[in-house]
Amino acid sequence: MSEKKCAVYYTAEELTERGKENIPTEFVSADHLIYSSPATLAFNSPGAEGFGVKRAGLAVPESVMLIVSPGCCGRNTSLISKIPEYNNRFFYLTMDETDIITGRHLKKIPQAVREIVDFLDKKPSVVMICITCVDALLGTDMERVCKKAEEETQIQVRPCYMYALTREGRKPPMVHVRQSIYSLLAPAKRNPAAVDILGFFAPLDDTSEIYAILHALGVKKTMEISRMKTYEEYLHMSEANFALVLNPEARFAARDFEERLSVPSIELTRFYDIDRIQKQYAALGKAIGRRIDDTAYYQKAKDSVEQFYKKFGPVAFSVGECLNADPFELSLALLRYGHVVPEIFGTITAENFVYIKHIAQISPDTRVYSNLHPSMIFYEENAKMEEEKKRNFVSLGKDAGYYHESKPNLAWNSDVQPYGYQAVEALFGALYELLDERDDGGREERS
Amino acid sequence: MKGLFKYLTPFAPDQSGVVSVLYEFGGLLVICDAGGCAGNICGFDEPRWSTAKSAIFSAGLRDMDAIMGRDERLVKKLALAAEQISGNFAAVIGTPVPAVIATDYHALAGMIKRKVKLPVIAISTTGMSYYDKGAEAAYLELVRQFCAKKQKTKNDRIGVFGANPLDMGDLMAAEKLQRYYDTISAGCNLVCYGMGAGLTELAEASDVQKNLVVAPSGLRAARYLEEMYNIPYEIANPLAIDCLWDIDYTGKRVLIIHQQVSAYTLRKELKRRNAAEIVAANFFMQIPELAEEQDIRLTEEEQCEALLNGNKFDIVIADAVFKKMAKNFSGIFMEYPQFAVSGKLVEA
Repeated sequence: MSEKKCAVYYTAEELTERGKENIPTEFVSADHLIYSSPATLAFNSPGAEGFGVKRAGLAVPESVMLIVSPGCCGRNTSLISKIPEYNNRFFYLTMDETDIITGRHLKKIPQAVREIVDFLDKKPSVVMICITCVDALLGTDMERVCKKAEEETQIQVRPCYMYALTREGRKPPMVHVRQSIYSLLAPAKRNPAAVDILGFFAPLDDTSEIYAILHALGVKKTMEISRMKTYEEYLHMSEANFALVLNPEARFAARDFEERLSVPSIELTRFYDIDRIQKQYAALGKAIGRRIDDTAYYQKAKDSVEQFYKKFGPVAFSVGECLNADPFELSLALLRYGHVVPEIFGTITAENFVYIKHIAQISPDTRVYSNLHPSMIFYEENAKMEEEKKRNFVSLGKDAGYYHESKPNLAWNSDVQPYGYQAVEALFGALYELLDERDDGGREERS
Repeated sequence: MKGLFKYLTPFAPDQSGVVSVLYEFGGLLVICDAGGCAGNICGFDEPRWSTAKSAIFSAGLRDMDAIMGRDERLVKKLALAAEQISGNFAAVIGTPVPAVIATDYHALAGMIKRKVKLPVIAISTTGMSYYDKGAEAAYLELVRQFCAKKQKTKNDRIGVFGANPLDMGDLMAAEKLQRYYDTISAGCNLVCYGMGAGLTELAEASDVQKNLVVAPSGLRAARYLEEMYNIPYEIANPLAIDCLWDIDYTGKRVLIIHQQVSAYTLRKELKRRNAAEIVAANFFMQIPELAEEQDIRLTEEEQCEALLNGNKFDIVIADAVFKKMAKNFSGIFMEYPQFAVSGKLVEA
């Protein structure tokens, strides 16, 4: 009889016992082939849903992008080009074998930029030149190439690196692109009542309390690149008194703000555990020497958590990583709110290992899978999961939804970013709605 | 300028063509890339990906793998995966990264064979050629490796090469072709390699009475079987006719932009319907014997733009994406989706 093959997982307890210095090889993507399941593709490709390098590179208002690469790298851009705001913003200069040998494609860039500018009705604010793995290996000095193109065309030209090869390096593509999009800012006179919010390419949810809290602290102007309608407006971001960094991938950009624009920054994390949110606001208040009154927001979020629990009791959650949350932090919060998390699909890092330790204390049997591992081709719902699914069950994240097609799914991956107590309140509100309206036996999907 | 695309997005690359052919043959397919190429293939060029599982993996190359040429790491990863996942064969599919470091696929295939004890297909795609080159290489490699002896001819069987989503743009192509043959030759079974028919059927590909080549990518494999086993082939894509509108074509000047076998089939039909002039143009493979003097091999977007706007045609048959560059064209535009261009499937 042949042995039944199954997806590899480790329980939270097993992971904790091994420790963060001994992460299983199945979770180290460099050690195995990568299974690009539909779940994985949602986040693990430069053409990923949400903001990959290409979309992110166009965060600067009125910008366009020239992708200089072998044709294959630009292939799936047509998915993005269909979004109306990206119409006429992507252009391609395709490379052939001779280009690789001679590097002649780089000499064509100024002319390509000129042709694009002539083609467009309105002159772009900047042409982002997106290059890929090939130029990473060729060692192309893209800063110099862009500078030359700028001199020849009198248009601002900036590099944007879609180097998938360096994904686990010191400066992965999504870190680099966050630097690129702010590189056009020049030092300006400081506005003591202005704050920049860095980290995302879409705005925070309008109802996030962070705006009101900042306002209460005397901030009159909150600036996010995604809310800047014009290039002129965007340039004002360098006037900020300080910047809030809401995504660790923006740390290098924040360092540039400090060094180049003399704009210091404070890093905040997105949590779904309301006690952690409260502590973080207290710490922020301490850092800026002001008390932050978040009582009302705290209470509202708490009410939403409790209302959900009261109505649906302990719910079983399959938590994925393709969503606006750290899957481990979110899982821990759900467990602390009294729910059950039988499985998590996630990438283990030194930063999120701390949550796994806490998860192990509450739910040692929680199974942790790596979406990327080849054995995920065999993922099947196991007996324990079958049992869990008899109660209220929700998959959270697009990837988790892929594994549980017949059950309600909350993708929770909108471009607009939930943040703070608002994220908690909105999450439980959406979950409430999902379970309340579900049709027994049918599948509900929400974003 | 050469290589600049302002209207179109790049076309399906050669590595996508390989996967499109191998998808249903039960192999372990390894894209030698850092993740992005596998993402493009699975997430865009392979419409079956979201509905039918296939063992497609990214090699997950990192900068040091490429710089140091660490092929042994790839072999190790593949061997590990082969222990966990059984497959009919292992396929190693090239991308720009191994092209830059000049990976020796022949040597790599040898290393893998020694480790995994599976037949190995290694295809040196570069990401810089179009899908049809990759698909052609994959079909040829399949028949070379797995169709090793002549079987007794079965007169009710017709083999089909070139039927893959990128060439046909239709996930129901195999069924539609069978239905078409049912109407003209009852009791005839079509064997669409890679679309419904897998490795078992391919191993018996020498038993068919003839092969039908529905896209240029399938021609070399069909020719190989003709040379080896004396199996004749016919070139036609009967499904292409479906895109024609029910109008009077008499005296019309028609431009067809599509894969060449579809264009060839349409031309025959349009001639029958008394069209005056038919020009077939495409960015992909051109088989000399299917081409006529007036046909055009497109190499640049601006060449295509000039052709569409030159006021030379009454009717254009092409994918809808070409419409946006046909700004001055005032004739009839018949949409015929070309998945390898737009990623759009033929509507069911």
